[in-house]
Amino acid sequence: MSYSVEDIEKLVEPARVHRKVYTDEEIFDLEMERVWGRTWIFAGHASEVPNAGDYKTFNIGSQSMLMVRNRTNDDISVFYNRCTHKGAKLVGDGKGCAKAFRCPYHAWTFATDGKLLATPPTKTLETSGFAPDDPEYNLRPAAQIDVYHGFVFVNLDANAPNLNEYFGDSLTSIDNMVERSPEGELEIAGGVLRYRHDCNWKSFVENLNDNMHPMATHQSAIEACQSYAKELPEGQEVPETVHILGPFGSSYDFFEDMSHVVFPNGHSYSGNKVSIHSAYPPVPDYVEAMETSYGKEKTKEIFSCARHNTVYYPSLTIKGAIQAIRVVRPISVNCTDIETYTFRLKGAPDEMLKRTLLYSRLINSPSSIVGADDLEVYERVQSGLRSQGHDWVSMERQKDNDEPQADGSIEATGSSELPFRNQYKYWLQLMTNTDTVKIKA
Amino acid sequence: MSQYQRPGLKKIEAFLYHETGLLDRMQLREWIDLFTPTGDYWMPVTPDQEDPVNHISIFYDDRDLMEIRLRHFDNPRSHSKDFTIRSSHVLGNVQLTDFDEGTGDCQVKCNFQCVMYYRDQQQLYAGTCDYHLVLIDGRYHIQRKRVDLINCDAPHGSIQTYV
Repeated sequence: MSYSVEDIEKLVEPARVHRKVYTDEEIFDLEMERVWGRTWIFAGHASEVPNAGDYKTFNIGSQSMLMVRNRTNDDISVFYNRCTHKGAKLVGDGKGCAKAFRCPYHAWTFATDGKLLATPPTKTLETSGFAPDDPEYNLRPAAQIDVYHGFVFVNLDANAPNLNEYFGDSLTSIDNMVERSPEGELEIAGGVLRYRHDCNWKSFVENLNDNMHPMATHQSAIEACQSYAKELPEGQEVPETVHILGPFGSSYDFFEDMSHVVFPNGHSYSGNKVSIHSAYPPVPDYVEAMETSYGKEKTKEIFSCARHNTVYYPSLTIKGAIQAIRVVRPISVNCTDIETYTFRLKGAPDEMLKRTLLYSRLINSPSSIVGADDLEVYERVQSGLRSQGHDWVSMERQKDNDEPQADGSIEATGSSELPFRNQYKYWLQLMTNTDTVKIKA
Repeated sequence: MSQYQRPGLKKIEAFLYHETGLLDRMQLREWIDLFTPTGDYWMPVTPDQEDPVNHISIFYDDRDLMEIRLRHFDNPRSHSKDFTIRSSHVLGNVQLTDFDEGTGDCQVKCNFQCVMYYRDQQQLYAGTCDYHLVLIDGRYHIQRKRVDLINCDAPHGSIQTYV
């Protein structure tokens, strides 16, 4: 079928959505155009391309993009990774450092600022009707690009609101992660993990603010961890592994207190006052470095913000307190790659990056006992939603208590399914907008 | 005069077959006990990765994490482990790359292919293994098993157990 606006409107009610939202390929294609084509998508971090000519490729849905620190003015540019001649993907997947980008097909060569530098000579160029200096032949940049504390975002729609307007006060989570560096700066470090999820991208994004699942989904990991901790001989130091896995087994009351704040345009975080990251043992040298930079009072304030996951809808989720981010790369309606990156807090002792990496390995790796149980439920959702027995997915918990504040944000108790309702409210707004995406700025 | 004789390859191979056989039969208790108390299992995420601590890895398990993983397998509510895992390792090109006459320690390298089956899906993991073996009471124990997958840096689904 071809979805009309009315058809799409029927798929989303205030507190439940139709299963086709997760399973229909046509909906996925429309999402890539109307959701991912119109929102601010995380490209990468500036520290991934520190030197002129450094580049990396990434995908927005099926489209390959190229992020590069251009040699013309040292700014970061993002282009569609496609030769403007016959359409070949210009740069193979990956990263590197380039003087210029030369297409392997007919040697069209582009400067790192996207300008077409050279095409092979032909004797009759002048009379051929082909004008290589036409700016249409330059690499097409993303319609909007903005860099917030080193986080590079692009928007493929020139008509979309700017980055600050789009993310609003949810940006305070990035602010807090940056402030956790004694020098106020982050640097990508420790490599990337790519974890393939055979599920719809929205199942992953929703789960990041799903406070009601750990007690069931992660019960086995927690019991494993607790039973091992109990067997440790008296006086033996509790391994850091236990400190990290343990809080996933907190009580329903704890996760209830780990309340939500949602913002317009689908963004949200959980862990407003407390979170599973609140009680890690302090690293003494780090606290000292922070207090030297910020003073005692401000340091205390920075550490008191121990938010769990913040969702920058739809492509980025961050854990400021642990300096790890997960990036959502949809591949098809039932396949999504999740990339995990970790940060070094500049000016902090090496111990901090080690803890971040330990966390990431324990929770975000394809070998994780926590991540595998999460993926198991996402895949069961993907499989279960093929059932014709029920058409609807429920997200009704605490639905009668969604009271917006003056700034448009809403706070809710931890058990609320408000973050999902908030995401779908925006999703519906985007998906029923049939205006053409304005590709050129 | 050296204290230890360089072991023959047959002896090394017998140990490796025993070790991977325990994985294939999912005898994780016995497998973990092959490691020294400070031993670890490492699966890097990039080729030629030098550091398991300051760089992310797919696996980097000390004995603590191995013990927790074992208990996770045994837990009736670990839903990602509801089905039996079957695997089959084939090892080849086994080489003793270094030998310490003073301690009897061995550095061993081999190629492997491991077919793993879980709930209707079969995965092929392949690459090289590096072992640091140490002698404790005359028997080999593992100080480190390093597994380099050929496709270490590809996106992977859940890797259900040790390879």
